[in-house]
Amino acid sequence: MSEAAAGSADDADPTDAVLRALADPHRRQILRLVRGGESAAGQIASHFELTQQAVSHHLQVLARAGLLSERRDGVRRLYALDPQGLEPVREMLSELWPSALERLKYAVEQDQKDQDQRHKAAEQKRRGRPS
Amino acid sequence: MTDSEVLTATVRIGAPPTAVFPYLVDPGLITRWIGEWADLRPEPGGTFALDISRTPVRGEYLEVEPPRRVVFTWGVAGSDSLPPGSTTVEIRLVPDGPDTIVELYHHDLPPAEFDGHRKGWLEKLDQLAGKVAGRDAADIQR
Repeated sequence: MSEAAAGSADDADPTDAVLRALADPHRRQILRLVRGGESAAGQIASHFELTQQAVSHHLQVLARAGLLSERRDGVRRLYALDPQGLEPVREMLSELWPSALERLKYAVEQDQKDQDQRHKAAEQKRRGRPS
Repeated sequence: MTDSEVLTATVRIGAPPTAVFPYLVDPGLITRWIGEWADLRPEPGGTFALDISRTPVRGEYLEVEPPRRVVFTWGVAGSDSLPPGSTTVEIRLVPDGPDTIVELYHHDLPPAEFDGHRKGWLEKLDQLAGKVAGRDAADIQR
C-alpha cells in the first residue's frame, strides 16, 4: 500500500475519501472485478470501454482511498480488494443513529433553554422591570 | 427471525419525556435531528416518511404511546435489500430524574450486513453511492 498517498489534501477525512471513491460506477465495477483476487491493470482495463489512462486514474483513486492494495510484479501492476478499506464507511453507518440522537439532544436542550429564557423575560416584565 | 441484527443507540437529554416526545412525531421537529423532509401521521398505521440526504426512508407508525414510546417501520423506497416495512425502529423515552434517557432499537436489520461478507458489502455500494451523492449535493447547497 502506498504510504505517500495517504496524507494528500483531499483525503483528510478517510470516510470522505472512501465515499467519493465509491461514488463512481466504474470504480464500483472495478471493485467487483478484483474481489475474487488480484488482477493486473491491463486485465481490469479490458472490461471497460475507457482509455488506459482513465482506468489508471480510477485505480489510483481507489488505492488512495485504501480500497485497493497495489503491488508491482515486474512491469505489471497488480491490484486486489483491501477489505479493511471499507472500515471507515462501516463506522459511518453504525454512527447514523448515535449521531442523530446527539442532534436530538442538542435540539431539545437548546429549545428548552430558549423557552426558559422567554419565561424569565416574561416574568421580569410582569414584575414591572423596564426592558 | 433469530439471526437478524439489532442496532442500539442511547443518549441522555436534559429535559423530561414530554419535552422530547414531540421530536419523534412532529415533521417540523423531527427534521431538526434527522432528515431534511418529513411527512408524519403519528397513529398506528399512519405514514412515517423521511428523506435523509435525499434517500426516501418510508414506513408507518406501529405504536404511538406519548410520551414514552414510538415504534415505526423503516425501509428505503425502491430498495431490494432494505424495502419499506422490512425493519423496525423502536424509540423509548425513559425518565431519569429531570432527564430523559432515549433508547433506540433498530430491529430486523439484515443479518451480518457488513460483517465478514465482502460480497454483501459490494452489493450495497450502489445504494450507498446514492446516499453519498445526496450528501455531496447537500454540502454544495450549504
